[in-house]
Amino acid sequence: MSRSNTNIPSGTSSRLTDMIRATTKAIEANRDTINALNVFPVPDGDTGTNMLLTLRSVVDDLPTNSTESANNVAKTIARSALLGARGNSGLILAQYFKGLAEAIGDATELTGEHFARSIRLASDNAYKALPNPVEGTMLTVYRECAEVAEQSANADNDLVSVMSDVATEAIESVRRTPSLLPVLKEAEVVDSGGFGFAVMLDGALRALTGENPAGRTIPVPMPTGTNFSGMVKTDFVDASEETDWGYCTVFAIHAENIDIDKLRNHMDQIGRSPVVDGTNGLAKVHVHMEDPGKALSAGIKYGELSNIEIANMDDQTSDWAADRRESGHSPQDNQPQEQVEIAVVAVAVGQGLSDLIISAGLGATSVLEGGDTMNPSVSELLKAVESAPSNNVILLPNNKNVLPAALEVPALTKKEVRVIPTRSVQTGVAALLEFSTQLNLDENTEAMTDILGDVGDGRVCQATRDVTIHGHKIVKGMSFATFDDDIVAVGREPLFVLSKMIEAKIEGADIITVYTGESVTPEQAESTTETLESKFDNVEFEVVYGGQPHYDYLVAVE
Amino acid sequence: MSIAVVTDSTSDLPVELAKEHGITVVPLNVHIEDETYLDGVTISADEMYRRLPDQKVIPTTSAPSVGTFLELYEKLAETHDEIISIHISARLSLTHGAAVNAAALMKENGTRVKVIDTEQASLALGWTAVLVAERVAAGGSLDEAVELAKSASKRASFVGMVNTLEYLVRGGRIGKAQGLVGTLLRIRPILTLIDGEAHPAGRARNRTKGITRIKEMVAEAAPLDKLAILYTTDKADAEAIAKDVAEFAPGGTPIVAQLGPVVGNYVGPGTLGLGLVSSESADSGNAG
Repeated sequence: MSRSNTNIPSGTSSRLTDMIRATTKAIEANRDTINALNVFPVPDGDTGTNMLLTLRSVVDDLPTNSTESANNVAKTIARSALLGARGNSGLILAQYFKGLAEAIGDATELTGEHFARSIRLASDNAYKALPNPVEGTMLTVYRECAEVAEQSANADNDLVSVMSDVATEAIESVRRTPSLLPVLKEAEVVDSGGFGFAVMLDGALRALTGENPAGRTIPVPMPTGTNFSGMVKTDFVDASEETDWGYCTVFAIHAENIDIDKLRNHMDQIGRSPVVDGTNGLAKVHVHMEDPGKALSAGIKYGELSNIEIANMDDQTSDWAADRRESGHSPQDNQPQEQVEIAVVAVAVGQGLSDLIISAGLGATSVLEGGDTMNPSVSELLKAVESAPSNNVILLPNNKNVLPAALEVPALTKKEVRVIPTRSVQTGVAALLEFSTQLNLDENTEAMTDILGDVGDGRVCQATRDVTIHGHKIVKGMSFATFDDDIVAVGREPLFVLSKMIEAKIEGADIITVYTGESVTPEQAESTTETLESKFDNVEFEVVYGGQPHYDYLVAVE
Repeated sequence: MSIAVVTDSTSDLPVELAKEHGITVVPLNVHIEDETYLDGVTISADEMYRRLPDQKVIPTTSAPSVGTFLELYEKLAETHDEIISIHISARLSLTHGAAVNAAALMKENGTRVKVIDTEQASLALGWTAVLVAERVAAGGSLDEAVELAKSASKRASFVGMVNTLEYLVRGGRIGKAQGLVGTLLRIRPILTLIDGEAHPAGRARNRTKGITRIKEMVAEAAPLDKLAILYTTDKADAEAIAKDVAEFAPGGTPIVAQLGPVVGNYVGPGTLGLGLVSSESADSGNAG
C-alpha cells in the first residue's frame, strides 16, 4: 500500500472523486438541454439522461474515503461506468473513463499529461467501440479535444491549464458539429453527446478551481448566425410523459443524519406511491415517477445515493418482465424454466412485442425491457444474460443505440454470448424466427445474422417539434415515416403515411409485417389491414399488436 | 430362398412403386365418426382432405391389429422363407408393436420375421422399404436387409411444411415441435422427424419463403439416393418444387407423391414436404 509514501500529495484521489461528482452535477443541471438537442432521425431525447445515469453509477461506486490512490479509484470508475453505461452516449462516456484508468496506469497522481492521454485513449477506444463511427458527434469532440490536450500538455503539464484549454476547445468543437453532420444542421441543433461532454469538462474544471458547478447551465454553442430555440421537452421525453409512463424508482441514500419523515413528504410531493424507510445513516426510497431523475435529484439533496434501480411500469410490462427474470418462470406455462441448449435474450418495449417475441422464441427466449427512451445498461444486459437458462446465449439488442452496450457483454461473462446486430425490434423478430433448436450456437448466429440483410425496417411516428430533415419540412404533430433511416413519407394521418411508405418500399417484398403501437385502437388496426390489403396486390400483410410507445407503426418488409 | 418385404400405409408409397418392388403394404385404420376405413384402401387421400376441415368429430387413426399382421405373415410364409417388416416410428404409432408381437408368434411357426422401427414416416419410411426391396431382389440376405434398413432409415428425412400445427396438436403428435405452438405471428412451421419424434426444422414467414427453404433443404441433403416431393392437397406446388430440384434427384426426376390419409390427418391440408434418403457418402453434410 502506498499510504505512507510522502511523494503522493494528500487528497490525490479526492481531487479525482471531486471532479467526477462535479461532472455529474454539471450534467444534472444541463440534462434537459442535452435531451432536447438529441433530435433525429427518431428523437431519442435521452442523451442527457443516459449520460447522467451513467455518471451516477460511477458516483455510486466512488470510495468514501480519500486514502485510496488515484490509480485504484480510476480503475473502479472505469468498471462502474462500463457496467452502468446507458445508451450510445453512456457507452462513449465509459470509453473516456476507461481511457482515464489506462492513462493513469500505476501513477498515483493525475497530471495534465495523464488527462491528455486519457482523452486520446477515449477517442481511439470510442471510434473502435462503435460499428459505424460518424463525424460530427461526441467522437469528433473527443478527437479534437485530444489534439488540443496533447499540445497543451506539451507546453505545460499542469492539470488545470490543460483542462482549461480542453474545455474551451470542447465548446468550439461542439459548435462545428453541424458542419460535419448535415442532419444536425437541418434540425438546427448541435451534437447532444458532444455538448454533454463539454458540460462535463466545464464542471470538472470548476471543481479543480474550487467552484461549485451545481445548478450552472451552459449556453448551447450554436454555429454563428443560428440560435438554439432552447425548447426543452419537445421531444420523445415529452411524448413519454404524455403517454403517462411511470418509472418505478428505487434507491438508497447514505448520510450521517437523514430526516426520514421529511424525505418521505418530499417524495410524496413529487411522485406517487412513495415508500421511504430507514435508520440512521441509510434510507431506502421507492417511488413512482414520470421522471425518475426528479426523484434522484431530490434524493441527492439528502445524501449520497446508491443501488439505484429504475424500472418502467408502462403496461405492467416491466412487472411482468421482472417477474420472469427474478423467478426464472416462463410466463407461458408457469413452470420453472428448464435449462436449454441455447437461450435468447431480446430487448423490447411494449406488451405486444414482448408477447410476440416470447411466443416466437421456442420456449428459450426472455425479454429485457428497453428501447429508444430507456436504453438498458451494460449491467442490465449482463444480468439478463446471466439469468438466461443456458450457458449459450444469443443477445438481440433490437436497437441501434443498444448494440454498442450489447457488444460489451460477451467479454464480461463466462457464458458463451453471441450478439446479433439487430437494429430494430422488427429485424429482431425476423432473426428470432430463424432461431432453431436443431442448430448449434454458431450456426444459429450465422442464420440469424444472415437474415438481417433481407429485412427492411420502417417506422411511423409523430413529430414532437418542428424540424426540417433531408429537405422534408415536418411540422409538430405531423406523421412521418422513416425507412432504414431515410424519411420516406410525411403526412397528416399515420395510416396515410404508412401506405405511402409501403408504396415506396414494396418492390420485391412478399410479406410485410405491421406492428401497431399502443396509440392504435383495435378498430384502427382492423382498418389498417383492410386499407393495405385493398391497396396492394401480390404481397401478404400481417398486422399484429405491438403495443410499443411512440411509434404508431413499426414495419418489416421481407 | 426368398424374402418378403412388408411396410405399412404410413410409408405413403404410391401403389405402382410398391407393386414394382413387390412390397406388401399393411393399411392402418382411419376412424371418422362411427366409420372405420382402411388407410388408402377404403378411403382415398383426396376424400380424407375433402372431409378433414369440416369434421366436427376429429378423425383418429389406429394401428393394424396383431391378428392382421399374423394373418399377413402366415400368408407370405407360404411363398417366402423369411420376412422383413419395416415400419413407422414406434413413438408415433403402435404399428411396430403389433408387428413385433405377430413376429414372435411366427417364430413358433419357424418363420424368421425381422421387424424394423425406422423412426421415420411417409416416404422416408417408404424409400427405406424400397432400398431394402432392391437389395433383396439383388440377392441380399435377411441380415444384410436388416442392416440396410437400419442405415437407410438413419440417412432418410421426412420434412413437412404445414399450414397450421392444429392437426399435429389435436392428434397428439406435436412432440418436440411444441415450442412452435402459440407463435403470435402467422408462420409456416417446417417439421422433421428426429429420433422418431416431430421436431421443428425451421419457420418460414410465408408459404413462398417456406417453399424456398424446402428446396434449400434438398440441396443441403444432397447427394441423394432417393427423393420424393410430398403434398396433401397442392399437387401443382409439389410439381413446381420437383422441377426446381430435379438436378438433385437420382435419375433426374423426383417422384411427386401424395401424403396418405393417416399421415395427412396429422399434417393437414396444404402441407408440402420431402421424403428423401441421402447417399452414404453424404453423412457428414446431412441436414438431419
